[in-house]
Amino acid sequence: MATIDLDKMLEKIKDSQWALADIDWEAPGADKISPEQWPKLKAFMSDLMWIEHVGARGFAAMAKKAPTDTLREIYTYFHAEEQRHANAEMALMRRWGMLEGDELPEPNINLRLTIEWLDRYSDDMPLEVLGSVIPMLEIALDGALLKFLLEEVDDPLCHEVFAKINGDESRHLGVDFHVMEMLGRGKLHQLAVKTIGTVANPKLILGVLAYAPLLNKMRDNIVAMGLKEERLYDAMNKYERIGGRTEEGRRNPWFQIISQHGKMVVNRSHPYHVPVDALVKLTSFIPNRAVGPVPTWVKGLTWRTTA
Amino acid sequence: MTTVVEKAKTAPRKRKATRQGTSEPVKQDVHEVLIVGAGFGGLGTALRLQQDGIRDVVILERAADIGGTWRDNTYPGAACDIPSNLYSFSFAPNPDWSRSFSGSGEILKYVHYLADRFNLRRMVRLNRNVTGLEYDEAAGVWSAVTASGEVFRGRSVVMAQGPLSNPGLPKIAGIDSFKGHTVHSAQWDHEYDFTGKRVAVIGTGASAVQIIPALVPQAAKLKVFQRTPGWVLPKPDFATPGWNRTLFRKVPASQAAVRKALYLGHESVALGIVWNSPLTRVVEKVAEAHLNRQVKDPWMRRQLKPDFRIGCKRVLMSSDYYPALQQDNCELVTWPIARISEQGIRTAEGIEHQFDCIVFATGFDVSNAGTPFPVRGVGGRELGQEWHRGAQAYKSINVSGYPNLHMTFGPNSGPGHNSALVYMESQIEYILKAVRVLRALEIKALDVKSHIQARHNREIQKRLAKTNWNSGCKSWYLTEDGFNATMYPGFATQYARQMASLDLKDYALIRA
Ligand SMILES: Cc1cc2nc3c(=O)[nH]c(=O)nc-3n(C[C@H](O)[C@H](O)[C@H](O)COP(=O)(O)OP(=O)(O)OC[C@H]3O[C@@H](n4cnc5c(N)ncnc54)[C@H](O)[C@@H]3O)c2cc1C
Ligand SMILES: [Fe+2]
Ligand SMILES: [Fe+2]
Repeated sequence: MATIDLDKMLEKIKDSQWALADIDWEAPGADKISPEQWPKLKAFMSDLMWIEHVGARGFAAMAKKAPTDTLREIYTYFHAEEQRHANAEMALMRRWGMLEGDELPEPNINLRLTIEWLDRYSDDMPLEVLGSVIPMLEIALDGALLKFLLEEVDDPLCHEVFAKINGDESRHLGVDFHVMEMLGRGKLHQLAVKTIGTVANPKLILGVLAYAPLLNKMRDNIVAMGLKEERLYDAMNKYERIGGRTEEGRRNPWFQIISQHGKMVVNRSHPYHVPVDALVKLTSFIPNRAVGPVPTWVKGLTWRTTA
Repeated sequence: MTTVVEKAKTAPRKRKATRQGTSEPVKQDVHEVLIVGAGFGGLGTALRLQQDGIRDVVILERAADIGGTWRDNTYPGAACDIPSNLYSFSFAPNPDWSRSFSGSGEILKYVHYLADRFNLRRMVRLNRNVTGLEYDEAAGVWSAVTASGEVFRGRSVVMAQGPLSNPGLPKIAGIDSFKGHTVHSAQWDHEYDFTGKRVAVIGTGASAVQIIPALVPQAAKLKVFQRTPGWVLPKPDFATPGWNRTLFRKVPASQAAVRKALYLGHESVALGIVWNSPLTRVVEKVAEAHLNRQVKDPWMRRQLKPDFRIGCKRVLMSSDYYPALQQDNCELVTWPIARISEQGIRTAEGIEHQFDCIVFATGFDVSNAGTPFPVRGVGGRELGQEWHRGAQAYKSINVSGYPNLHMTFGPNSGPGHNSALVYMESQIEYILKAVRVLRALEIKALDVKSHIQARHNREIQKRLAKTNWNSGCKSWYLTEDGFNATMYPGFATQYARQMASLDLKDYALIRA
């Protein structure tokens, strides 16, 4: 992957739009979900659908900071596309009898905390931070989880839907890594000074406190679902591989921070896990109502093809 | 009609005759001034020409009636957003404006009043859609061809076809596939009843913020599709008290004083809107406070808060737009539109929003890199071609190589902060001077020198670079390449000074 032409990418994005109405949600195959798979899959899909939202909210923030109109428009589309993924995943859940009426799936607490943080502070974060973290979440969570899903679920419609979602995601990743390299251009010491300034930002520290336990929690969930955690690690390593394939990419200090952090995450014997796992435990005691009110954009989520 | 067509057929022969020196037969059908368009620009020019004793004027209007903008924009809520006392001609004040910002109907009435009071209708030829202008260099005569093939000829010609007279539709896939009803804001369908309908409004510009509050109470459900939010300032709209009208009637000077005050008030806003100055932040703060006071939900505030500097795009004026958006039956949609389908609008979040009617409040096709119809000047040169990288003129009004051709709202004449009619009055007076010069010096034509025009444009573009319009946002002020061929970079007062004198040194004087 060399650097991409963002104008062409935007055209491609516009040409690749799809809608829930393009899919026949009543097509046969819904019964291929086994009763013992069902509860695990329900928990999994709920998380997945909210992970789309971590990406969505991140892209919404990035759209406001994009240095060019083209990138702004691309991020605006990506924001919408993540919402489309969430909508489509809800439609699948509905098909499998996992949602009643207009109810929304419940996210786990670490996801809630992350979304809450994004909602409050992401608009204040520089593009460098978001532009380097979002790719990690996209590649690790989205990527690893989707693979698992396709291996475990036999419903052909599920495959059809995720083929579309994956098509979108490949464009997301293309832009993600392109921007990461873009952010690594410029004088190294300037990048460093700017980074140090941001690292000390208390809002970012709060973000880390949400992000770190989220990764560990997702690892635990993956294990609980009977999947090898190496899957997640493979995906996280991919971040380092693709992000670090060029000089510019490696010069981006946020890439360095995040991939170093990734190395700690995938090393189970690293002391990092002691406090972070403790945090996961701790956060599990936070009652849902203690987290701020649900933001109003949540009302826009729907499994219905038309409105 | 046949006589005019016959004239058209014989026109070439007559031109030949002119070249041979027998100019006599041409005279009777070459009008002194031809005007394209019977809006404020065309009628205002005719009015002032007539007051100056120039009576052989013909106005070609493509529609079945006069009125321009205010004949076409009759959507619910249509009104001016510059106070009526300033959005009218100083040479024909109207003491009777019923509101501070009058509605479309009342402004149209004022246009009709101008035509009747000054006996302008005699000059107007309706249903004449001009499809081309051509200059005969030898004869020094312009001819205008209409869609039906008629030809009208004039010594001078004024292009007053309006900066915003051709409704524009957005480039959206599937736009023709919608099976429901569609309406453009500038071609309102008054037969269609919106009561109880599911309605979409595409666009959130100057027309949309007027339409939406008017439609929300009628429609069952109204969804507003926004691409880019604009800055919105509160609009101090109120009914004019009766004593006020009486005063204006009895003491016209009092109305002139109010107009002057309004004018200066708007001029001062230029400091904030046209350039990035400390006042820019102040005006932005006012708009932000307006948003924060009217919209409480943080996500919606975020959706409505512009990312660009105020003034970069047209500033919107409304006190009822934000409240309308928050009505239970109204919804703001900020997802990009993916396509229009048979039953509605599909947005990128994957949902098809279904409607009975789609309202396009999507503005106009602005020719900032071309002309609305072919204009041929000296030696067959074509203006649209010369302008394909962005329109350029001298003082917004003349173009070198196109003698005796004048434009109202030509390149770089647009106001961002003041009444268009203030600018128009300067243009009209300039045209008067040019026409008078032809008479006084008994010359065939005035053609601006090309180096003078080039120097003027270098200066204009240098000044534009420092304005908010050129600060990085996309708007209809700019061409695709970001060239600003639309706006005048300065105060209306500066523009008036620019237009105040016609310096013959700037022109080639072409004698017969
Ligand atoms: C909804 C709306 C609100 C506005 N509000 C304000 C405001 O508050 N303040 C302000 O300063 N400005 C406002 N404007 C700008 C407005 O366009 C100008 O103020 C002014 O009305 C322009 O007058 P005009 O005569 O130049 O053009 P128009 O009024 O557009 O008249 C042009 C005429 O030319 C005719 N024509 C066009 N092409 C041809 C052709 N090929 N052959 C023959 N005839 C033709 C048209 O039919 C039309 O009658 C507004 C514009 C719109 C659309
Ligand atoms: Fe996604
Ligand atoms: Fe994504």
